[in-house]
Amino acid sequence: MHSTLKLTVSHAPFWHNGSSISTKSRNILLASLLAVVPGCYQYGMAAVGVVTLSIASAILWELLINFISRRPVSVGDGNAALIGMMFAMMLPATMPWWAVVTGTFFAVVIGKEIFGGIGANPFNPAVLAMTILMLSWADLFDFNAALLNYQFDFKAVYPLVLSKTFGASAVDPFALMDLLFGKQIGGIGSTFGIGLIAGGVYLILRGFVRWEISLSFLVGIFLSALFFYILNPDLYAGPGFHLLTGYTLIGAFFLATEDSSSPVNFIPMLIYGLLGGVLTVLIRNIGTHIDGVLYAILIINLVNPLLDKIRPKAIGKGV
Amino acid sequence: MIKRSFFGLVKPKLQYEIIDEAQAEPVSIQPEKQIRLYIDQSYENAGNSVFKTGDPVKSGQKITLSDDAADYLLSSKSGQISKISPFVGILGKKFTSVTIDVDDESSQSCDESFKSACQAPSLENARNFLAGLPGKPDFNVFFDSGKPVKAIVVLGADDDLLGITNQYFVKNNIIAIKTGIALLCKITGISNAILIVPQHLEQVAGSSGAIIKTVDSEYPSAHPELIMQHLLASEDGISREKSGIAFFSAEAVCAIGAAYTTGQFSLEKMVTFVSKDGNKRLVSVPIGTPLQDILNEFNETLNDGDRVVFGGPMKGSSVFSTDYPVFPDTDTIIIQDKHQITERSDIACSNCGECVRVCPANIQVNLLIRFLEAAQYEEAADQYDLFSCIECGFCSYVCESRIPVFQHIRLGKHTLESMKAAEESNA
Repeated sequence: MHSTLKLTVSHAPFWHNGSSISTKSRNILLASLLAVVPGCYQYGMAAVGVVTLSIASAILWELLINFISRRPVSVGDGNAALIGMMFAMMLPATMPWWAVVTGTFFAVVIGKEIFGGIGANPFNPAVLAMTILMLSWADLFDFNAALLNYQFDFKAVYPLVLSKTFGASAVDPFALMDLLFGKQIGGIGSTFGIGLIAGGVYLILRGFVRWEISLSFLVGIFLSALFFYILNPDLYAGPGFHLLTGYTLIGAFFLATEDSSSPVNFIPMLIYGLLGGVLTVLIRNIGTHIDGVLYAILIINLVNPLLDKIRPKAIGKGV
Repeated sequence: MIKRSFFGLVKPKLQYEIIDEAQAEPVSIQPEKQIRLYIDQSYENAGNSVFKTGDPVKSGQKITLSDDAADYLLSSKSGQISKISPFVGILGKKFTSVTIDVDDESSQSCDESFKSACQAPSLENARNFLAGLPGKPDFNVFFDSGKPVKAIVVLGADDDLLGITNQYFVKNNIIAIKTGIALLCKITGISNAILIVPQHLEQVAGSSGAIIKTVDSEYPSAHPELIMQHLLASEDGISREKSGIAFFSAEAVCAIGAAYTTGQFSLEKMVTFVSKDGNKRLVSVPIGTPLQDILNEFNETLNDGDRVVFGGPMKGSSVFSTDYPVFPDTDTIIIQDKHQITERSDIACSNCGECVRVCPANIQVNLLIRFLEAAQYEEAADQYDLFSCIECGFCSYVCESRIPVFQHIRLGKHTLESMKAAEESNA
């Protein structure tokens, strides 16, 4: 009774909802285009160059590591491309090529691969790389100097520098509407607020990022900025300003929500986001750094495992 | 296959199959030449086998490997044993396969040994004769002196997706269920009988005389473990440690009732057969009928790479060959085309948290899987609730990295349990 029919045999369940890492990466990449395309329009081909180089080099770094560590090629899941995109979105358009390539090295190799690849990174790789670069070559990230040769039809000063140096009154010329529509200088993909919000809402509705994190991050920024504003309106800019400048929106929708470095339970997600928002404003208003989003995200990444200890009891346990 | 919905903000929902108002009568399929029974005993330890190749068996006769063994099946047809061989199932579980060449329809004969026993229904003779009935009633729970059974729960809802076997019996045969429940209460002396039904059958179930409880239509709410959890919370005097709950499927209760009233066994199993094109048909087949006979009936052809699933899509098991027979607890048989199969992968967990959000047992699957993949089963059990898992399979269904989470969990539990068994036998 030897049948030649070779059936597929595997373990239950025999259905799958069809989700995959590559679908998720593809969707996040698509959503990020809503902010990146206007950015490229604003800064021209230089920005296109930075974005494409960043994505390409991130993929190549991952490929190289796959090769060296003799592991299956994992660039197909789109995670490396996504890290490259996130990294490029935060850069000024005039970033030199070597800095972009170094940055993606830090992001992909130091930020992710040495920890064991996807899902094992304790920090958001792109944020880690940004902070390493910012500490190493601070002058490259002086947006005012970097974008000096551009002609804009709006005030070409990095808003957070203004508020930090000259107090809240200096940012009065920035109408919130203008900020929302990207009439400010900054990273390639981090200034066009409405695009970032639209992309973020799309990702939230599709379930690719968690609303709990994004929302609580923004609420954290709003509440703490409001607190400072009420305390001293002359010195500290209002909550609307903080929500729409710097890396706030990209942080809330694209960076803080990165899977591996963020919690999965409901209450931890809320605390995680809220803490990130509050820290951002604290660093911006009373710290020495200009923008606090990146450091805030690194810190909340760090407490993520601890936060996820707040979890419901499994059934049959401790009844 | 139900795919992820476009909007993913809410938890994924899987709906149980709901029996049609005008459900077609089941197609009756008879075995062509042979039936095959897989008895839950290892071939090597069988010792002095009661049966040998060439022995005649009658319909309804107990097929077992030793006289005192508790594990037996009932032959659904009379004929002659043509082969006894070992069979290894999932996770190395050892069975003994008994193949019976079926006699012609005209010369079928029934075994009479239950006739006298059924005059005085008792738990002993129920355990002795009825455990091989369709629905696989388990009477052993009543013999655990440490945990007296406090309630009999009859599952009128189907536990896995696509199946409608239990609903069919509630809808069409509530009288038989009533008889069965009354008999069970009588032989066990337990008055607390609870019938679990989906909401749309609540009206029908009312006439059964049992306490009716409904479960909602989303998987895995009809899972016995969750029902148990619910009962522990709502019923007085039931606790997990001190008391037992006996679960019976509606099909089994019908069969028990019929066995005691007629003195004969009905060994026709109600199965939902799902063909490659997704067509669902209810069939009634004698237990032990090989899959091939059912495939022939529906002109379903299998090719290399296709998958055959015995049981539902979430908790069933796939089989190697079309010789595999219908078991007393096979509610569903699903044929999947090669192209419908989603391959599992070895990508690491990306910590997206989908599994944690769907887990009905509140397990931190994202952390658990890291320990399971590293084969650190003891840590997994001690710190990450491995044994709280109710095995619904939902985590694997939603896994973005397509990790076979459920398989890891089963393997982890199995490894720990066999280690424990080995320790106990050495002590």
